Amino acid sequence: MTGDTHYDLEILAELAEGLLDAATALQVREHLAICDPCGESLADLAAVREMLSGTPTPAMPMGVALRIDRALAAEAESLRGGGVGLVEAPAWDDIMRDAPWETETPSLPEPEPVRLGVVGDDGTVVPVTPARRRRAATRRRWAMPAAAAGVAAAVIGATVVTTGILSASGGPDTNPMIGVQADAAPPKYQLTDSNWNYTDQELSGSLLGYIGPVNAGGTTESSKIDQCVRQVAAKVGTAPFAVDQGFYNGQEANVMVFWHNVSKNQVLVHVVGPECDQVREPALARWK
Amino acid sequence: MNSPPETPPAADQQAGRTAVSDADLLNRHIAGDPQAFSEIVKRHRDRMWAVALRTLGDPDEAADAVQDAFVSAYRKAESFRGEAAVTTWLHRIVVNACLDRMRRKSVRPVADDELIEAAERETPVPDQTTEREVSMEVSSALKLLPADQRAALVLVDMMGYSVEDAAQVLQVPSGTVKSRCARGRAKLVPILSHLRNRSDLSRVSSAKGAELRDG
Repeated sequence: MTGDTHYDLEILAELAEGLLDAATALQVREHLAICDPCGESLADLAAVREMLSGTPTPAMPMGVALRIDRALAAEAESLRGGGVGLVEAPAWDDIMRDAPWETETPSLPEPEPVRLGVVGDDGTVVPVTPARRRRAATRRRWAMPAAAAGVAAAVIGATVVTTGILSASGGPDTNPMIGVQADAAPPKYQLTDSNWNYTDQELSGSLLGYIGPVNAGGTTESSKIDQCVRQVAAKVGTAPFAVDQGFYNGQEANVMVFWHNVSKNQVLVHVVGPECDQVREPALARWK
Repeated sequence: MNSPPETPPAADQQAGRTAVSDADLLNRHIAGDPQAFSEIVKRHRDRMWAVALRTLGDPDEAADAVQDAFVSAYRKAESFRGEAAVTTWLHRIVVNACLDRMRRKSVRPVADDELIEAAERETPVPDQTTEREVSMEVSSALKLLPADQRAALVLVDMMGYSVEDAAQVLQVPSGTVKSRCARGRAKLVPILSHLRNRSDLSRVSSAKGAELRDG
C-alpha cells in the first residue's frame, strides 16, 4: 500500500493498540515510514488521547454529594422499617440485570428490617437472611419532585444529624456535627436542594412549585450556607423561610426566599453564589 | 492515574484513623454499621462523579446516575463477591447505571459525516481555546460516540485506568476494550482535530508516533 492509497484512522488506531496481526502491522509500519499523511493521522490519534487525558475531572459538587447522602439516609430509614415513603426506587432490576453478581432472584415480598451477613474465609460475604429482598418495594417513586424533597429533608433531618451523614462538608470525622446543634438559635428556614437551574423568568413567577411547601419548624442546615443565610438575612432585616440549593443560569446558586407580604403572597428573592456573592438583583416574586 | 487503588491516599492521611479497607467497610455496612457506607461514598464519590459526568456528558443525568448507583450499591452490598475490588464493583454499578440511562434515551449511533457536521455546527471557533472550552468540546464530542466506545474511552483515556481494569469494570475481554478505544479515537480525530490545531494540547507525542512507526 503505497502512493495515493492511505490507511484509514481505524486501522492506524488498531495498530497503536497492538490489535493488528504481525503481518498486517508490519505492512502498515512500512507504509508509515514513507507516507507523511498517514504519519499525521497517527499523530492525530495520539493527540486525541492526550486531549482526553488532559481534560480535567471535576470533583463532585457539594449539592450532588448532599443529595446522595440524603438518598442514602432515606434508604437507611426505610430499611430500618420507618419507611419515608416518598422516595421511590429506580428500576434496579434493569440497571443491574447484566451484572454477574445478580444471582437467581426469588422474589420475596417483604423487606427485611435488619440485614445480617457473615464473612466467609475467602472474604466474601454470605448473607444469613434470604438474600433477595424488597422486590415489592422497588417500584416506589424515586424521582422526588421538589415539593416532596422538602418534606423528605424535614423527615429525615433527625437521622442525618445523629448519624453525621452530612459530614460531607469535610471536617474531621470524629465529630462531624459539632457546633451545628450547639449554635444558639439558628434561623428557621427550610433548606432544599433541588439542583434546579433557575432562570430569571422563573424567579419572577410562582416559586412554590420549585421549592416546595414549607414544613413548619423543619430545618436542616450546613454551616457554610447557614452563615451565608445569616449574612443575607442581616441585609434584608428578616430571615428567609426557604432556601434552595440549585443553579441560576447554569451557575451554582442558592435561592433565598423571604416573605415580603404574606397576605399578598409576595416574596423577596435573593440569589447568591457559592461564596455568598449576590448573583442577581433582589426581586419580588410570588410564592403560590 | 492508573488502576483504581483500593484505598485512596486521602483516607490514609486522616489523622488518628487507621486505614480501613473498602472491603472491611462494606462488611461493616452489611453488619449494620450506619457509618460504614457513607465512608465508602466519601472515598469514591469524586471518581464516580467523574466517570458518570464524562460518560453521560450532562450534570443532571450524571447526578441521577451516581445517586442511583450508590443507593443500588447500598442495597446490594451483600451480593458483592470478594473476588473483585470494591472500587471495581462500584465503577461497574456506576457505568451500568450510565449505560442504562443512555439506552433509555436510545441514543442512536451517528455516521461519520454527521459527526463532522455536528462538530462544525457546534463549534463557534473562539480565538483562544481555554481549558474549559476544550473540556466542553471534548464532552460534546464524546456524546457523539456509541455508548460502549464512550464508556471505554472514559475509563481508559480520561480516567487513566489500565485496559485490564476497564475490562473488569465493563466485563468484556481486554481486546474488546482496546478495539472500542481504537474505534472511538478514530471517530474523534476529525471532530477534535480543529481543537488540536489551535490549542496548547497539540504537543502531540510525535515521539510516540515515531516509536510506533519504527516498531
